[in-house]
Amino acid sequence: MDAGFRIDPSDARPIWRQIEENVRQLVASGILPPATVVPSVRDLARSLTVNPATVAKAYQRLTDAGVLAVRRGDGTYVAAAPPVFSAEERVRRLDVEARRYVNAAVTLGATPRESAAALATAWSALGAAPAGSEAVNATAAPDTPRPRDGGNEGEP
Amino acid sequence: MTTTGALAAAAAPSHLLSPTVGAAAAAAAASGAAPPLAVEAMTVRYGRTTAVDRVSLALAEGGVYALLGRNGAGKSSLVRCLLGQQRATAGFARIFGRDVWRHRAALMAEVGVVPEQPDAPPGASARRLARLCRRLYRGWDDDGFEQRLRRFAVPPELPFGRLSKGQQRHVTLALALAGGPRLLILDDPTLGLDAVARRAFFEEIVGELADRGISIFLTSHELPAVERIAERVGILDGGRLLVDEDLERLKHRLRRIRLPRAAAAGSATGEAADAALEALAPLRRETRDWGVEVVVGAYDDRRFERLRAAVAGGAATVSSLTLEEIFTALVGHDPAAAAPADAPAAAPAGRATGGSPWQV
Repeated sequence: MDAGFRIDPSDARPIWRQIEENVRQLVASGILPPATVVPSVRDLARSLTVNPATVAKAYQRLTDAGVLAVRRGDGTYVAAAPPVFSAEERVRRLDVEARRYVNAAVTLGATPRESAAALATAWSALGAAPAGSEAVNATAAPDTPRPRDGGNEGEP
Repeated sequence: MTTTGALAAAAAPSHLLSPTVGAAAAAAAASGAAPPLAVEAMTVRYGRTTAVDRVSLALAEGGVYALLGRNGAGKSSLVRCLLGQQRATAGFARIFGRDVWRHRAALMAEVGVVPEQPDAPPGASARRLARLCRRLYRGWDDDGFEQRLRRFAVPPELPFGRLSKGQQRHVTLALALAGGPRLLILDDPTLGLDAVARRAFFEEIVGELADRGISIFLTSHELPAVERIAERVGILDGGRLLVDEDLERLKHRLRRIRLPRAAAAGSATGEAADAALEALAPLRRETRDWGVEVVVGAYDDRRFERLRAAVAGGAATVSSLTLEEIFTALVGHDPAAAAPADAPAAAPAGRATGGSPWQV
Protein backbone atom coordinates (compact mmCIF):
# COMPACT_ATOMS: atom_id res chain seq x y z
CA MET A 1 0.00 0.00 0.00
CA ASP A 2 2.93 2.30 0.59
CA ALA A 3 3.49 2.55 -3.13
CA GLY A 4 0.12 4.26 -3.42
CA PHE A 5 1.18 7.03 -1.10
CA ARG A 6 2.70 10.30 -2.00
CA ILE A 7 3.17 13.00 0.58
CA ASP A 8 3.84 16.34 -0.98
CA PRO A 9 5.01 19.13 1.33
CA SER A 10 4.16 21.75 -1.27
CA ASP A 11 0.57 20.51 -1.31
CA ALA A 12 -1.79 22.94 0.38
CA ARG A 13 -3.42 20.06 2.26
CA PRO A 14 -1.98 19.08 5.62
CA ILE A 15 -0.20 15.73 5.63
CA TRP A 16 -2.97 14.00 7.59
CA ARG A 17 -5.46 15.02 4.93
CA GLN A 18 -3.17 13.83 2.15
CA ILE A 19 -2.97 10.43 3.84
CA GLU A 20 -6.71 10.35 4.45
CA GLU A 21 -7.52 11.17 0.85
CA ASN A 22 -4.91 8.74 -0.44
CA VAL A 23 -6.54 5.91 1.48
CA ARG A 24 -10.02 6.96 0.40
CA GLN A 25 -8.89 6.91 -3.19
CA LEU A 26 -7.18 3.54 -2.91
CA VAL A 27 -10.33 2.10 -1.34
CA ALA A 28 -12.70 3.75 -3.82
CA SER A 29 -10.70 2.52 -6.78
CA GLY A 30 -10.66 -1.03 -5.47
CA ILE A 31 -6.89 -1.15 -5.14
CA LEU A 32 -7.52 -1.78 -1.46
CA PRO A 33 -10.48 -4.19 -1.38
CA PRO A 34 -12.52 -4.79 1.78
CA ALA A 35 -10.76 -6.69 4.56
CA THR A 36 -7.31 -5.68 3.30
CA VAL A 37 -5.09 -5.02 6.27
CA VAL A 38 -3.52 -1.58 6.09
CA PRO A 39 -0.10 -0.84 7.61
CA SER A 40 0.00 -0.03 11.29
CA VAL A 41 0.30 3.61 12.28
CA ARG A 42 3.87 2.91 13.31
CA ASP A 43 4.86 1.24 10.03
CA LEU A 44 3.24 3.81 7.79
CA ALA A 45 4.70 6.66 9.85
CA ARG A 46 8.15 5.12 9.55
CA SER A 47 7.91 4.47 5.85
CA LEU A 48 6.74 8.02 5.20
CA THR A 49 8.94 9.42 8.00
CA VAL A 50 6.04 11.44 9.27
CA ASN A 51 4.87 11.99 12.81
CA PRO A 52 2.82 8.95 13.94
CA ALA A 53 0.26 11.36 15.39
CA THR A 54 -0.35 12.57 11.84
CA VAL A 55 -1.02 9.05 10.56
CA ALA A 56 -3.14 8.30 13.63
CA LYS A 57 -5.28 11.35 12.92
CA ALA A 58 -5.86 10.24 9.32
CA TYR A 59 -6.69 6.68 10.43
CA GLN A 60 -9.03 7.96 13.13
CA ARG A 61 -10.95 10.05 10.63
CA LEU A 62 -11.12 7.14 8.19
CA THR A 63 -12.35 4.87 10.97
CA ASP A 64 -14.96 7.41 12.02
CA ALA A 65 -16.07 7.64 8.40
CA GLY A 66 -16.37 3.87 8.18
CA VAL A 67 -13.71 3.49 5.50
CA LEU A 68 -11.39 1.62 7.86
CA ALA A 69 -12.20 -0.61 10.78
CA VAL A 70 -10.12 -1.74 13.72
CA ARG A 71 -10.18 -5.29 15.02
CA ARG A 72 -8.62 -5.82 18.39
CA GLY A 73 -5.36 -7.64 17.99
CA ASP A 74 -5.71 -7.73 14.25
CA GLY A 75 -4.86 -4.19 13.35
CA THR A 76 -6.62 -1.89 10.97
CA TYR A 77 -8.24 -3.03 7.76
CA VAL A 78 -10.52 -1.78 5.02
CA ALA A 79 -14.12 -1.99 6.22
CA ALA A 80 -16.09 -4.96 4.90
CA ALA A 81 -19.16 -2.85 4.28
CA PRO A 82 -18.70 0.49 2.64
CA PRO A 83 -19.92 3.48 4.61
CA VAL A 84 -23.64 3.93 4.50
CA PHE A 85 -24.96 7.44 4.52
CA SER A 86 -28.52 8.62 4.48
CA ALA A 87 -29.58 10.18 1.18
CA GLU A 88 -29.57 13.53 2.90
CA GLU A 89 -26.12 13.07 4.40
CA ARG A 90 -24.80 11.86 1.09
CA VAL A 91 -26.02 14.98 -0.70
CA ARG A 92 -24.60 17.16 2.05
CA ARG A 93 -21.17 15.56 1.90
CA LEU A 94 -21.07 15.70 -1.85
CA ASP A 95 -21.97 19.38 -1.67
CA VAL A 96 -19.26 20.12 0.91
CA GLU A 97 -16.62 18.37 -1.17
CA ALA A 98 -17.83 20.05 -4.36
CA ARG A 99 -17.51 23.46 -2.75
CA ARG A 100 -14.04 22.60 -1.52
CA TYR A 101 -13.06 21.61 -5.03
CA VAL A 102 -14.58 24.68 -6.62
CA ASN A 103 -12.74 26.88 -4.13
CA ALA A 104 -9.49 25.22 -5.05
CA ALA A 105 -10.27 25.58 -8.74
CA VAL A 106 -11.06 29.25 -8.31
CA THR A 107 -7.82 29.97 -6.50
CA LEU A 108 -6.01 28.31 -9.38
CA GLY A 109 -7.81 30.55 -11.81
CA ALA A 110 -9.55 27.61 -13.52
CA THR A 111 -12.71 28.14 -15.54
CA PRO A 112 -15.83 26.03 -14.84
CA ARG A 113 -15.13 24.18 -18.07
CA GLU A 114 -11.54 23.45 -17.05
CA SER A 115 -12.52 22.25 -13.62
CA ALA A 116 -15.25 20.01 -15.03
CA ALA A 117 -12.71 18.52 -17.39
CA ALA A 118 -10.32 17.93 -14.50
CA LEU A 119 -13.12 16.15 -12.65
CA ALA A 120 -13.71 13.91 -15.63
CA THR A 121 -10.02 13.12 -15.83
CA ALA A 122 -9.96 12.27 -12.15
CA TRP A 123 -12.90 9.91 -12.63
CA SER A 124 -11.12 8.11 -15.45
CA ALA A 125 -7.94 7.96 -13.39
CA LEU A 126 -9.84 5.89 -10.85
CA GLY A 127 -9.92 3.25 -13.56
CA ALA A 128 -13.47 2.06 -13.10
CA ALA A 129 -15.18 5.02 -14.66
CA PRO A 130 -16.60 4.17 -18.06
CA ALA A 131 -14.68 6.01 -20.76
CA GLY A 132 -16.57 8.99 -22.10
CA SER A 133 -19.19 8.68 -19.40
CA GLU A 134 -21.56 11.44 -18.39
CA ALA A 135 -19.11 12.48 -15.70
CA VAL A 136 -17.94 15.14 -18.14
CA ASN A 137 -21.31 16.75 -17.91
CA ALA A 138 -21.26 18.53 -14.61
CA THR A 139 -25.03 18.72 -14.47
CA ALA A 140 -25.64 15.04 -15.11
CA ALA A 141 -27.55 13.15 -12.47
CA PRO A 142 -25.34 10.93 -10.29
CA ASP A 143 -26.39 7.92 -12.28
CA THR A 144 -23.16 5.97 -12.10
CA PRO A 145 -23.06 4.51 -8.61
CA ARG A 146 -19.59 3.46 -7.72
CA PRO A 147 -18.35 0.87 -5.31
CA ARG A 148 -17.09 2.09 -1.97
CA ASP A 149 -16.84 5.74 -2.83
CA GLY A 150 -18.48 6.75 0.40
CA GLY A 151 -21.70 7.40 -1.44
CA ASN A 152 -23.46 4.05 -1.33
CA GLU A 153 -26.84 3.79 0.18
CA GLY A 154 -29.12 0.97 1.13
CA GLU A 155 -26.50 -1.69 1.81
CA PRO A 156 -25.75 -2.78 5.32
CA MET B 1 29.78 22.49 27.77
CA THR B 2 31.67 24.10 30.64
CA THR B 3 29.69 22.86 33.58
CA THR B 4 29.78 19.23 32.65
CA GLY B 5 33.11 19.24 30.94
CA ALA B 6 34.91 17.71 33.87
CA LEU B 7 32.56 14.79 33.89
CA ALA B 8 32.97 14.25 30.20
CA ALA B 9 36.69 14.05 30.62
CA ALA B 10 36.18 11.42 33.28
CA ALA B 11 34.36 8.90 31.18
CA ALA B 12 31.16 9.18 29.23
CA PRO B 13 29.34 11.74 27.07
CA SER B 14 28.63 14.70 29.30
CA HIS B 15 24.98 14.95 28.43
CA LEU B 16 24.40 11.41 29.55
CA LEU B 17 26.10 11.81 32.87
CA SER B 18 24.59 13.04 36.05
CA PRO B 19 26.11 13.02 39.52
CA THR B 20 23.00 11.52 41.04
CA VAL B 21 20.31 9.20 39.83
CA GLY B 22 17.13 11.13 39.19
CA ALA B 23 14.64 9.11 41.20
CA ALA B 24 13.24 12.12 43.02
CA ALA B 25 12.95 14.03 39.80
CA ALA B 26 11.11 11.18 38.17
CA ALA B 27 8.60 11.01 40.99
CA ALA B 28 8.06 14.76 41.02
CA ALA B 29 7.71 15.00 37.27
CA ALA B 30 5.29 12.11 37.02
CA SER B 31 2.80 13.88 39.25
CA GLY B 32 2.48 17.25 37.54
CA ALA B 33 0.90 18.32 34.29
CA ALA B 34 3.77 20.68 33.55
CA PRO B 35 4.87 20.64 29.92
CA PRO B 36 7.94 18.55 29.17
CA LEU B 37 9.78 21.70 28.28
CA ALA B 38 9.06 25.38 28.68
CA VAL B 39 11.17 28.45 28.10
CA GLU B 40 9.98 31.59 29.83
CA ALA B 41 11.17 35.04 28.84
CA MET B 42 14.70 33.80 28.37
CA THR B 43 17.43 36.28 27.54
CA VAL B 44 21.09 35.42 27.00
CA ARG B 45 23.64 38.18 26.69
CA TYR B 46 27.35 38.04 26.04
CA GLY B 47 28.66 41.46 27.00
CA ARG B 48 26.74 43.87 24.82
CA THR B 49 25.56 41.21 22.39
CA THR B 50 22.09 39.75 22.93
CA ALA B 51 22.07 36.17 21.64
CA VAL B 52 18.60 35.24 22.91
CA ASP B 53 16.06 38.00 23.37
CA ARG B 54 13.06 37.34 25.69
CA VAL B 55 12.13 34.01 24.17
CA SER B 56 9.16 32.04 25.48
CA LEU B 57 7.99 28.74 24.07
CA ALA B 58 6.61 25.41 25.22
CA LEU B 59 6.68 21.83 24.05
CA ALA B 60 3.43 19.91 24.56
CA GLU B 61 3.41 16.43 26.07
CA GLY B 62 4.01 13.92 23.30
CA GLY B 63 4.64 16.72 20.82
CA VAL B 64 7.46 17.56 18.47
CA TYR B 65 8.76 21.12 18.54
CA ALA B 66 11.31 22.20 15.95
CA LEU B 67 13.36 25.31 16.60
CA LEU B 68 14.70 26.77 13.38
CA GLY B 69 17.00 29.65 12.65
CA ARG B 70 19.99 30.61 10.60
CA ASN B 71 23.45 30.06 12.02
CA GLY B 72 24.01 32.63 14.73
CA ALA B 73 20.30 33.16 15.34
CA GLY B 74 20.68 32.08 18.96
CA LYS B 75 19.71 28.40 18.78
CA SER B 76 22.89 27.09 20.36
CA SER B 77 22.75 29.50 23.30
CA LEU B 78 19.14 28.57 23.91
CA VAL B 79 19.86 24.84 23.76
CA ARG B 80 22.81 25.16 26.16
CA CYS B 81 20.46 26.83 28.62
CA LEU B 82 17.89 24.07 28.12
CA LEU B 83 20.50 21.51 29.04
CA GLY B 84 21.64 23.38 32.11
CA GLN B 85 25.06 23.85 30.58
CA GLN B 86 24.75 27.59 30.69
CA ARG B 87 22.75 30.01 32.80
CA ALA B 88 20.41 32.41 31.07
CA THR B 89 20.98 36.08 31.78
CA ALA B 90 17.26 36.35 32.53
CA GLY B 91 14.26 34.06 32.39
CA PHE B 92 13.97 30.31 32.87
CA ALA B 93 14.01 27.00 31.16
CA ARG B 94 11.86 24.37 32.83
CA ILE B 95 11.77 20.68 32.13
CA PHE B 96 8.72 18.90 33.52
CA GLY B 97 8.07 22.04 35.48
CA ARG B 98 11.43 22.22 37.22
CA ASP B 99 14.07 24.86 36.69
CA VAL B 100 16.80 23.32 34.58
CA TRP B 101 19.65 25.32 36.03
CA ARG B 102 18.87 24.38 39.61
CA HIS B 103 17.86 20.76 39.00
CA ARG B 104 19.95 19.90 36.00
CA ALA B 105 21.58 16.84 37.45
CA ALA B 106 18.32 15.18 38.37
CA LEU B 107 16.51 16.32 35.22
CA MET B 108 19.15 15.17 32.78
CA ALA B 109 18.46 11.59 33.86
CA GLU B 110 15.03 11.97 32.28
CA VAL B 111 16.20 13.65 29.14
CA GLY B 112 17.90 12.05 26.17
CA VAL B 113 20.23 14.41 24.37
CA VAL B 114 21.88 14.26 20.98
CA PRO B 115 24.24 17.22 20.98
CA GLU B 116 25.49 19.09 17.96
CA GLN B 117 29.04 17.94 18.65
CA PRO B 118 29.26 14.34 19.83
CA ASP B 119 31.22 14.53 23.06
CA ALA B 120 31.93 10.88 23.78
CA PRO B 121 35.52 9.91 24.53
CA PRO B 122 37.00 8.85 21.17
CA GLY B 123 38.67 5.75 22.59
CA ALA B 124 35.53 4.09 23.94
CA SER B 125 33.43 1.73 21.84
CA ALA B 126 29.65 1.96 21.66
CA ARG B 127 29.33 -1.00 24.04
CA ARG B 128 31.72 0.51 26.53
CA LEU B 129 29.82 3.80 26.43
CA ALA B 130 26.65 1.86 27.13
CA ARG B 131 28.25 0.19 30.15
CA LEU B 132 29.30 3.60 31.46
CA CYS B 133 25.87 5.11 31.03
CA ARG B 134 23.83 2.12 32.16
CA ARG B 135 24.17 2.66 35.89
CA LEU B 136 22.96 6.23 35.67
CA TYR B 137 19.52 5.28 34.43
CA ARG B 138 16.97 3.20 36.23
CA GLY B 139 15.19 2.01 33.13
CA TRP B 140 18.26 1.33 31.00
CA ASP B 141 17.35 -0.82 28.00
CA ASP B 142 20.32 -2.88 26.89
CA ASP B 143 18.40 -4.91 24.33
CA GLY B 144 17.00 -1.79 22.71
CA PHE B 145 20.49 -0.32 22.58
CA GLU B 146 21.92 -3.39 20.85
CA GLN B 147 18.99 -3.55 18.43
CA ARG B 148 19.50 0.06 17.44
CA LEU B 149 23.19 -0.49 16.85
CA ARG B 150 22.25 -3.36 14.54
CA ARG B 151 19.62 -1.31 12.71
CA PHE B 152 22.13 1.48 12.24
CA ALA B 153 24.84 -1.07 11.30
CA VAL B 154 27.27 0.36 13.84
CA PRO B 155 30.16 -1.93 14.83
CA PRO B 156 29.67 -2.17 18.61
CA GLU B 157 33.32 -2.64 19.51
CA LEU B 158 34.90 0.01 17.31
CA PRO B 159 36.23 3.08 19.15
CA PHE B 160 33.85 6.04 18.90
CA GLY B 161 36.55 8.18 17.31
CA ARG B 162 36.87 5.78 14.39
CA LEU B 163 33.18 5.74 13.52
CA SER B 164 31.80 7.84 10.70
CA LYS B 165 29.94 11.01 11.52
CA GLY B 166 26.64 9.29 10.85
CA GLN B 167 27.56 6.32 13.02
CA GLN B 168 28.64 8.60 15.84
CA ARG B 169 25.29 10.36 15.72
CA HIS B 170 23.48 7.03 15.64
CA VAL B 171 25.41 5.80 18.69
CA THR B 172 24.57 9.01 20.52
CA LEU B 173 20.89 8.55 19.69
CA ALA B 174 20.98 4.90 20.76
CA LEU B 175 22.56 5.92 24.08
CA ALA B 176 20.05 8.72 24.53
CA LEU B 177 17.10 6.40 23.93
CA ALA B 178 18.40 3.50 26.01
CA GLY B 179 17.89 5.55 29.16
CA GLY B 180 14.14 5.53 28.53
CA PRO B 181 13.83 9.32 28.48
CA ARG B 182 10.45 11.05 28.38
CA LEU B 183 11.97 13.99 26.58
CA LEU B 184 14.47 13.98 23.75
CA ILE B 185 16.51 17.06 22.90
CA LEU B 186 18.19 16.89 19.52
CA ASP B 187 20.56 19.67 18.53
CA ASP B 188 20.91 19.66 14.77
CA PRO B 189 21.16 15.87 14.90
CA THR B 190 21.54 15.20 11.20
CA LEU B 191 24.10 17.88 10.44
CA GLY B 192 26.66 16.51 8.00
CA LEU B 193 24.94 13.14 7.59
CA ASP B 194 24.31 11.63 4.19
CA ALA B 195 20.76 11.02 2.97
CA VAL B 196 20.70 7.37 4.07
CA ALA B 197 21.96 8.11 7.58
CA ARG B 198 19.53 11.00 7.87
CA ARG B 199 16.60 8.85 6.92
CA ALA B 200 17.65 6.12 9.34
CA PHE B 201 17.88 8.72 12.08
CA PHE B 202 14.41 10.14 11.46
CA GLU B 203 12.86 6.68 11.05
CA GLU B 204 14.19 5.75 14.46
CA ILE B 205 12.69 8.86 15.97
CA VAL B 206 9.33 8.21 14.35
CA GLY B 207 9.37 4.69 15.76
CA GLU B 208 10.12 6.08 19.19
CA LEU B 209 7.24 8.55 18.93
CA ALA B 210 4.92 5.71 17.98
CA ASP B 211 6.12 3.29 20.64
CA ARG B 212 6.55 5.48 23.67
CA GLY B 213 4.87 8.80 23.04
CA ILE B 214 8.09 10.58 23.88
CA SER B 215 8.26 14.37 23.55
CA ILE B 216 10.87 15.83 21.23
CA PHE B 217 12.53 19.21 21.01
CA LEU B 218 14.89 19.61 18.10
CA THR B 219 16.86 22.19 16.23
CA SER B 220 17.55 21.45 12.61
CA HIS B 221 18.41 22.82 9.22
CA GLU B 222 16.88 19.73 7.62
CA LEU B 223 13.61 21.44 6.83
CA PRO B 224 12.01 18.84 4.53
CA ALA B 225 12.34 16.27 7.31
CA VAL B 226 11.22 18.71 10.00
CA GLU B 227 8.17 19.50 7.93
CA ARG B 228 7.02 15.89 8.14
CA ILE B 229 7.62 15.41 11.83
CA ALA B 230 7.21 18.67 13.73
CA GLU B 231 3.82 19.74 15.03
CA ARG B 232 4.99 23.10 16.20
CA VAL B 233 7.71 25.33 14.84
CA GLY B 234 9.71 28.19 16.29
CA ILE B 235 11.84 30.42 14.11
CA LEU B 236 14.62 32.40 15.76
CA ASP B 237 16.05 35.43 14.06
CA GLY B 238 18.61 37.68 15.68
CA GLY B 239 17.79 36.12 19.05
CA ARG B 240 14.09 36.85 18.78
CA LEU B 241 11.39 34.26 18.29
CA LEU B 242 9.78 35.39 15.08
CA VAL B 243 7.39 32.46 14.85
CA ASP B 244 6.01 30.11 17.50
CA GLU B 245 3.11 28.36 15.90
CA ASP B 246 1.54 25.07 14.88
CA LEU B 247 3.05 24.11 11.55
CA GLU B 248 -0.34 23.48 9.99
CA ARG B 249 -1.47 27.01 10.81
CA LEU B 250 1.80 28.53 9.68
CA LYS B 251 1.50 26.76 6.35
CA HIS B 252 -2.05 27.92 6.00
CA ARG B 253 -1.39 31.62 6.53
CA LEU B 254 1.87 31.95 4.60
CA ARG B 255 1.17 31.56 0.90
CA ARG B 256 2.56 32.61 -2.43
CA ILE B 257 0.36 34.75 -4.62
CA ARG B 258 1.15 35.22 -8.29
CA LEU B 259 -0.02 38.19 -10.25
CA PRO B 260 0.58 37.93 -13.98
CA ARG B 261 1.93 41.07 -15.56
CA ALA B 262 -1.38 42.00 -17.16
CA ALA B 263 -2.95 42.06 -13.73
CA ALA B 264 0.06 43.53 -12.01
CA ALA B 265 0.36 46.39 -14.43
CA GLY B 266 -3.36 47.02 -14.78
CA SER B 267 -3.71 50.63 -13.75
CA ALA B 268 -7.45 50.16 -13.47
CA THR B 269 -6.94 47.84 -10.50
CA GLY B 270 -5.36 50.58 -8.46
CA GLU B 271 -6.16 51.21 -4.85
CA ALA B 272 -8.71 48.45 -4.31
CA ALA B 273 -6.16 45.85 -5.30
CA ASP B 274 -3.42 47.48 -3.27
CA ALA B 275 -5.66 47.48 -0.23
CA ALA B 276 -6.69 43.88 -0.83
CA LEU B 277 -3.06 42.80 -1.08
CA GLU B 278 -2.13 44.83 1.98
CA ALA B 279 -4.82 42.96 3.94
CA LEU B 280 -2.99 39.71 3.14
CA ALA B 281 0.18 41.15 4.80
CA PRO B 282 2.73 40.94 1.99
CA LEU B 283 6.15 39.88 3.30
CA ARG B 284 8.24 39.57 0.18
CA ARG B 285 7.81 40.52 -3.40
CA GLU B 286 9.75 39.26 -6.38
CA THR B 287 9.53 40.37 -9.96
CA ARG B 288 9.40 37.59 -12.53
CA ASP B 289 9.29 37.54 -16.30
CA TRP B 290 5.57 36.93 -16.21
CA GLY B 291 4.63 39.30 -13.42
CA VAL B 292 4.95 39.53 -9.64
CA GLU B 293 5.17 36.92 -6.94
CA VAL B 294 4.23 37.94 -3.42
CA VAL B 295 4.61 35.90 -0.24
CA VAL B 296 1.86 36.89 2.16
CA GLY B 297 1.68 36.29 5.89
CA ALA B 298 -2.05 36.49 6.53
CA TYR B 299 -3.71 34.39 3.86
CA ASP B 300 -7.31 33.39 4.15
CA ASP B 301 -9.78 32.45 1.44
CA ARG B 302 -11.99 35.48 1.92
CA ARG B 303 -9.15 38.00 1.72
CA PHE B 304 -7.81 36.28 -1.35
CA GLU B 305 -11.22 36.41 -3.02
CA ARG B 306 -11.25 40.14 -2.46
CA LEU B 307 -7.85 40.46 -4.11
CA ARG B 308 -8.90 38.30 -7.02
CA ALA B 309 -11.98 40.39 -7.57
CA ALA B 310 -9.90 43.56 -7.54
CA VAL B 311 -7.23 42.61 -10.07
CA ALA B 312 -7.77 42.74 -13.78
CA GLY B 313 -9.25 39.55 -15.13
CA GLY B 314 -9.16 37.87 -11.73
CA ALA B 315 -5.80 36.48 -12.73
CA ALA B 316 -4.33 36.17 -9.24
CA THR B 317 -3.41 32.65 -8.19
CA VAL B 318 -2.30 31.23 -4.88
CA SER B 319 -0.12 28.29 -3.91
CA SER B 320 1.20 26.91 -0.67
CA LEU B 321 4.79 27.03 0.49
CA THR B 322 7.12 24.38 1.80
CA LEU B 323 8.63 24.99 5.22
CA GLU B 324 11.89 25.77 3.49
CA GLU B 325 10.21 28.45 1.41
CA ILE B 326 8.51 29.85 4.50
CA PHE B 327 11.83 29.93 6.34
CA THR B 328 13.53 31.71 3.47
CA ALA B 329 10.71 34.21 3.15
CA LEU B 330 10.89 35.05 6.85
CA VAL B 331 14.60 35.11 7.62
CA GLY B 332 16.33 35.17 4.26
CA HIS B 333 17.13 38.84 4.55
CA ASP B 334 18.89 40.53 1.74
CA PRO B 335 22.46 40.70 3.07
CA ALA B 336 22.84 44.21 1.72
CA ALA B 337 19.84 45.32 3.74
CA ALA B 338 20.96 43.60 6.93
CA ALA B 339 21.16 45.81 9.96
CA PRO B 340 24.60 46.56 11.37
CA ALA B 341 25.56 44.35 14.30
CA ASP B 342 25.04 47.01 16.95
CA ALA B 343 21.69 48.18 15.71
CA PRO B 344 18.47 46.71 17.06
CA ALA B 345 17.22 43.71 15.14
CA ALA B 346 15.65 44.62 11.85
CA ALA B 347 11.91 44.40 11.32
CA PRO B 348 11.33 40.67 11.40
CA ALA B 349 9.70 39.80 8.16
CA GLY B 350 11.07 42.34 5.75
CA ARG B 351 7.66 43.66 4.91
CA ALA B 352 7.30 44.97 1.42
CA THR B 353 7.34 48.71 1.82
CA GLY B 354 7.56 51.75 -0.36
CA GLY B 355 5.24 52.03 -3.28
CA SER B 356 2.62 49.77 -4.66
CA PRO B 357 3.42 46.07 -4.62
CA TRP B 358 2.18 45.97 -8.19
CA GLN B 359 4.93 48.03 -9.68
CA VAL B 360 6.98 45.75 -11.86
